[in-house]
Amino acid sequence: MVVAGRRKSIAFFIAMGAGLISVIILLYVGWVLFDWRTGILLFLGILLLAIIITGIVLNTTFLVREIRRNEQKDAFINAVTHELKTPVASIRLYLETLQTRSIDEDKRQEFYRTMLEDSERLLGTIEQILRTGRIGQSGRKLNLSRIDLGGVIEDCVNRARALYRVPAESLEFRSGPPLTIMGDLEEVRAAVSNLIDNAVKYSGHDVKVTIETAKVDDKYVSVRVRDQGPGIPHTELKQIFKRFHRVPGQLATRVKGTGLGLYIVRSVAKRHGGRAWAESAGPGQGSTFVLQLPIVK
Amino acid sequence: MSRILVVEDEKHLSDGLRFNLEAEKYEVQVVETGEAALELLAADSSPYDVVVLDVMLPGIDGFTVMSEMRSKGQFIPTLMLTARGHPEDVLKGFAAGADDYLSKPFELAILIARIRGLLRRREWLRASMNNTEGSAQGANASTHARGDVESVPAKSTDAFAFGDKSVDFDLLELRVREQVFPLTLMEVSVLRYLIRHEGTPVSRKKMLEEVWGLHEDTDTRAIDNFIVRLRRYIEDDPTRPRYLLTVRGVGYRFVAFPPEEK
Repeated sequence: MVVAGRRKSIAFFIAMGAGLISVIILLYVGWVLFDWRTGILLFLGILLLAIIITGIVLNTTFLVREIRRNEQKDAFINAVTHELKTPVASIRLYLETLQTRSIDEDKRQEFYRTMLEDSERLLGTIEQILRTGRIGQSGRKLNLSRIDLGGVIEDCVNRARALYRVPAESLEFRSGPPLTIMGDLEEVRAAVSNLIDNAVKYSGHDVKVTIETAKVDDKYVSVRVRDQGPGIPHTELKQIFKRFHRVPGQLATRVKGTGLGLYIVRSVAKRHGGRAWAESAGPGQGSTFVLQLPIVK
Repeated sequence: MSRILVVEDEKHLSDGLRFNLEAEKYEVQVVETGEAALELLAADSSPYDVVVLDVMLPGIDGFTVMSEMRSKGQFIPTLMLTARGHPEDVLKGFAAGADDYLSKPFELAILIARIRGLLRRREWLRASMNNTEGSAQGANASTHARGDVESVPAKSTDAFAFGDKSVDFDLLELRVREQVFPLTLMEVSVLRYLIRHEGTPVSRKKMLEEVWGLHEDTDTRAIDNFIVRLRRYIEDDPTRPRYLLTVRGVGYRFVAFPPEEK
């Protein structure tokens, strides 16, 4: 309902802008036809008209952009609320259960494990939000050091295998030649982790993810994360890297997240002088995410 | 043993809920999606006594599941559970036909108390039906009132007639002339409460306490929402109510036999 209201207001502002511009042109043409004796007035008129039209166009553009941004923020706050409250609700439920009922030792251990997993999830979301804040700060320096890329990926893969309980053959790392990059270890690890998390989360029940590293040329190395998931429509390939953006429709409701992961990946790549992009043959064809980072010579 | 259907896709939460509800001696069935819940409910008319429904589900959301259930005539008492606790979300839930609403994170004791409350209300409705069945033609009136509204005894416990309308508290139905409107358990409870206090103004707060059993500072606008819906059923012109009157600054007053309009 809210979204429909916003669409309406976007349409309204565009219509109003177009309407105003046509009225101005009409009035102006009328005026020129009836009274065009003085050249200076004509020139001034054209100038003023240009200024007014530019003003209206700019105003409309900004309004529409602002409405879109608000829409995304709402969606983001909803998603974050869910991501923060769900694990808390779960931890609280188990704590209250432990507090009020007599429970045998096996069950007790199971509850502890569940609560630990929930606190991991909570921490993950909090870190994601804080990292987005840090990346947004201009002038924050990278903590550069020489990083063994293969080692970082190995760590991330092991973490994901444990977290999502996927067997080694479903989440496979085909390491290429040893590659060293110059980068901020924490940020690179976050970027790689986000790509792996996404690939696993969007794969559904049948996880088949492969990660490959390769030397692109003398300057860059690439990390390719390929999944057999639902794929990405062509129009969304660039959009998905924007902050708060989530693929519209069924997919976003099926896979929960904050819409920050890929924004972090792209920002990390940029800060390191590299880039990140997605490739997909279309819906149902799986997708590949590529992170390109500069190599140490 | 009461049966509870839990619709929740977060496995940790649904496992925890199952454990606790089973410890309370309820029979629990968990499904992960709204689609699965609707399918299950459609398979048998009312095998469940209470539904615990999450809002943010994969696929169709909880609000949609709720209104689908109601539009299909499934009036199982339903408690909605959600991370979003904004007043507009709560109202949206009630508007979709929910009987109760709880936001995450919730207290276990409160959740169980609310489920018990829903079960109890269902039992009361059943009990009041049985009482009148024993006494006289009350139950008869409730099942045959359609053509012969006048014969419904006024202020009977299971049915009540006013003007050309009659409410059947057991069948959860409102009949207006030839039309039959299904009501939700909460709508019936609100209406029953107002009818019981016929002629006297009742405050929103009092209704929240006595119908919902809420003592917290819940938004009393939820009540207004119910009144709007009830007026749509029982008033000839909902914008100029004659039976369900607003008492400014207090709440509402039900009038069974309003003075004729000139």
